[in-house]
Amino acid sequence: MDCVTEWRTLPATEGQYADFPDAMDARIKTVLQKRGIYRLYTHQAECFQLASQGKDYVVVTPTASGKTMCYNLPVVSAILNNPDSRALYLFPTKALSADQVSGLYSMIEELGVDIKAYTYDGDTQGAARKAIRQAGHIVVTNPDMLHANILPHHTKWVKLFENLKYIVIDEIHTYRGIFGSHLANVLRRLIRLCAFYGSHPQFILCSATIANPAELATALTGRSIEAVTNNGAPMGERHFVFYNPPVVNKPLGIRRGVVPEVRRVSEKLLSNGIPTIVFCKSRIQVEIMTRYMKDCVKDAYGFSGRVRGYRGGYLPGERHEIERGLRAGEVDMVISTNALELGIDIGSLSACVLCGYPGTIASTWQQAGRAGRRKETALTIMVASSAALDQYIIENPDYFFNASPEHALVQPDNLYVLTSHLKCSAYELPFEDGENFGNVKDTDQFLEYLTENNILRHLDDKYYWMEEELPSGEISLRSATSENYIIIDITNPAHHRVIGEMDHFTVPMLLHENAIYMHEARQYQVEKLDYDACKAYIRAVDVDYYTDADLNVSLHILDDLEQKQLPNNVTLTLGELRVSTIVKIFKKMKLDTHETLGFGVVRLPQTDMHTTGMWWTIPDSLAFRYSNDDLQGALVAISNLLGIVAPLYLMCAPHDVRVVYQVKAPITDKPTIFLYDSYPGGVGLSEKAYQMQEMLLEEALKVATGCGCEDGCPACAGPLAEIGEGGKQRAIAVLKELLS
Amino acid sequence: MAGLLNKLRMMDTAGKKPPTTNEDLHSPAVRLYHKEFLYPITTFCDRRSATPDILEKVFECAFPAKVSPEDVLFLDTETTGLSGGVGTIAFQIGLGYFSRVGFVVEQYLMHDYPQEPEMLRQLAARMQRFPIICTFNGKTFDVPLLRNRFIMNRMSDDCIPVTHADVLYPARRLWKLRLGQCTLGNLENQLLGVEREDDLPGAMVPQAYFQYLKDRDFSQMEKVLEHNRQDIVSLAQLYFELCRLMARPEEIVQCEDLLSLARMCERTGDSQRANKCYRMCAKGDTRAEAFRAMSIHAKRQGQTDTAIKLCKAMLSRGDDPIYAYEALAKLYEHQLRQPEQALHYTRQALLILAEPSLEYDEKRMEKQESLKHRYARLRRKLNQNT
Repeated sequence: MDCVTEWRTLPATEGQYADFPDAMDARIKTVLQKRGIYRLYTHQAECFQLASQGKDYVVVTPTASGKTMCYNLPVVSAILNNPDSRALYLFPTKALSADQVSGLYSMIEELGVDIKAYTYDGDTQGAARKAIRQAGHIVVTNPDMLHANILPHHTKWVKLFENLKYIVIDEIHTYRGIFGSHLANVLRRLIRLCAFYGSHPQFILCSATIANPAELATALTGRSIEAVTNNGAPMGERHFVFYNPPVVNKPLGIRRGVVPEVRRVSEKLLSNGIPTIVFCKSRIQVEIMTRYMKDCVKDAYGFSGRVRGYRGGYLPGERHEIERGLRAGEVDMVISTNALELGIDIGSLSACVLCGYPGTIASTWQQAGRAGRRKETALTIMVASSAALDQYIIENPDYFFNASPEHALVQPDNLYVLTSHLKCSAYELPFEDGENFGNVKDTDQFLEYLTENNILRHLDDKYYWMEEELPSGEISLRSATSENYIIIDITNPAHHRVIGEMDHFTVPMLLHENAIYMHEARQYQVEKLDYDACKAYIRAVDVDYYTDADLNVSLHILDDLEQKQLPNNVTLTLGELRVSTIVKIFKKMKLDTHETLGFGVVRLPQTDMHTTGMWWTIPDSLAFRYSNDDLQGALVAISNLLGIVAPLYLMCAPHDVRVVYQVKAPITDKPTIFLYDSYPGGVGLSEKAYQMQEMLLEEALKVATGCGCEDGCPACAGPLAEIGEGGKQRAIAVLKELLS
Repeated sequence: MAGLLNKLRMMDTAGKKPPTTNEDLHSPAVRLYHKEFLYPITTFCDRRSATPDILEKVFECAFPAKVSPEDVLFLDTETTGLSGGVGTIAFQIGLGYFSRVGFVVEQYLMHDYPQEPEMLRQLAARMQRFPIICTFNGKTFDVPLLRNRFIMNRMSDDCIPVTHADVLYPARRLWKLRLGQCTLGNLENQLLGVEREDDLPGAMVPQAYFQYLKDRDFSQMEKVLEHNRQDIVSLAQLYFELCRLMARPEEIVQCEDLLSLARMCERTGDSQRANKCYRMCAKGDTRAEAFRAMSIHAKRQGQTDTAIKLCKAMLSRGDDPIYAYEALAKLYEHQLRQPEQALHYTRQALLILAEPSLEYDEKRMEKQESLKHRYARLRRKLNQNT
């Protein structure tokens, strides 16, 4: 209990109910009554009301608040009213669509009416596709399919576009950053086509708790959207516990590792038979923890199905089986990445263990919400790691409990994203003079640019498409390339089998040659990575170590956009950067003790990203006061400090923005600290940081001076070994210079 | 807002294409290109074979009760791409049909994008008169594309004839075995003896059109038009050629084609005609296949003796002995009820399969398995009887 630094109890809340709206089809009422539902939650009733008034809305729903009813009721009611009506559902992932459609099916089945709801995604067979285009009342798909398969072939979907009444977008809080910017533009294209076909669909959106649901919904759809926030669902009592592992090395400020601590906590819950979900930060953590927990419950035959791992990269069949096991109560503990944070129905769990602070307030609440879904008392234990952000939260519990969750930022007018989708839209339907793309004021400027490049032809009053290829083919909504790598187990030479897949960005980290790759807690070694064919060949092994790759980042300034002088000849610049990342080496770490056993070399090409950033250039007059090593230590420390405060004050997730330094930046040769958006093209974080740089520096200084340590610790400037003797003090001095 | 444009320009890493030279190329005086060409009837072989009955066998779809050559509209388009999305445009459309004076080819070409609605209106008016449309790969390409264009221009696509004879599919069925590649170009070259000179390759057509929009040099478009005219004439010739051969297989010289035609007939359930073809090609490289098919036909007709004779003939010639032995085994077991004989033939087949084979062959393994089962079953049967 010594380690428990905070224990908060959030009282239970009563449900608030409203009668069935009069406008709701009587058949739906009968079905609900058969299910034992005689009233709606207030927010569900309000949604129905707004829908029947023809309004767009976004409903903010904590977990287990009957979210699907907020859109299924108005949609099904509208189709019952007029069988020609159509609806389009968008979910961020295939897994979610499958989950939601099954709920919709059972409702339709109980109604006993001929409403056709289909999922349309990469797994849909060719023959079924035709039927869906012709006859589907409700088409369930994802933004990627809409972008690449539906919009560029809209003439095959005439029925859908002519009669589209509702566009339902679930989990909109996942559409932040560049993915959200893409979606906003895909929706601009969609709306443009609807107008062509003479329909004016309403938007129904759902979001987890974020600071700005209405703002996000408005940015995504380009319409001003009302938020329904009065959650009427009842909630059981919740306990929220902060757990800080004990310090094992006082001078260095090092605490016991988060993984062994979570292991201890989870073992207790497991041995008491409390259904628990453990959220880990990375796929590796999931695998290690799954292995530990499986060892605890293994029976005489080695069977350990009561504990399951769950993460992206498992095949759909395996995931569905785990989800089913959770709902049926056959699984006592699931160890997951944030993949289970989204609304997949996994039944009722009582406890939730967080392996480190999840990075944002919104996802912390979202993850905690997975426990205690059905009015029961729920427990969440957050085990802090020694990472600075975690320690900041532990030290400032009020910050966590009182702060609003993060803003979800999107930048629909990101130049790269916007021009890409404008091309797609011009392909789908020629633009006319004076026509705007969504609310883009300078649409004509973009069209003129595309005309200059012979992509469009401007004649009479229209812009015609003038290329052979389909533009959507080159644009992926998620990352630089859409190609996933498949993972092939070659342990049995006669029977190779695909056991999973991984996205292009994660591959250099986890699937480089000789990496130990873990899948369902079994160890495999990567034997061969066929980079061009997107295949990794792995073989089962049994070793006592795991591998951890080092990501190497280098920066290149492409262009200065804005500049201002700060005191003491410090220059602050906003501009465009090229960020190159490459993995060159990996470490072998011993299981259990996590000590380094050795190194290996990785030979993979580097990946480049263009983005926006802002940077402080430190003048020689200031730099010359320190030796090279001392200066470097101070820069490391300042970068670490800014890395802690930037996500908090820019209201974004830690990996959305990065801070790095260069002792000698190319061209200027001067020490420089960079802060950049970690998305191609940028999402507006650097611009925000450019505006509030003074505040960032002040807060960084506060963290450094406010920390009790002497020479730096992981919770502030960084460990002594990283920043050197006196590094923290020098960092404080430099920060003061930047501010004075 | 000059800043935005500059930024956009800067964003561009790829080399820039030269800007469009657009001087008065779009004057209203330049009307939609529309010309007619007349070809003598003698260009075409016997047209009488194209009766509804034969057409249905060739194209495997329903035709009106009466069809005359004047009912068919031959169509081919040249487009700005092959992707099949809504942004691809048919900038040139060629039509062919028979009139009292001969075969008429009408060609449209839009000098620029704004002429598309006018071209589509004229096309719709033409198409309305014909109950049948004939294309080469039009089912997947030209017709869906035209449908897109009608929708995009807010026009009805009802004018497109309901009955669609797509020559690609029967051409593949009939000639692929012998000719391999069944592109229109290869077919006309091999079958009709057409040699195109100075032809513009299909893959270059979109770029040629974009170039024309920029420099207004019509010479490349002349090539496109010539290419398209030839396509339409060849298309019509192939249409009648297919019908002629279906109607009179005895005029086919190549055994491969006879074999292919026989298979086509089997697909439509015309086993009499199929068997006739098999008999004609029971020689050369197609002999084994023909004998095999004839034996199956005989067996289906209940002519067990004929079937056995055919299988034995295969054995005496060394044609596909594994099949022949197995077929004999089945005939002896089920039709003649002579399990000893059946066992004998099964053993013979297994003996051949037992010979070492250099390559790993899954089909061979499967065959071996099924024969082993047959062998075991026959053994049991015989043991019970004795």
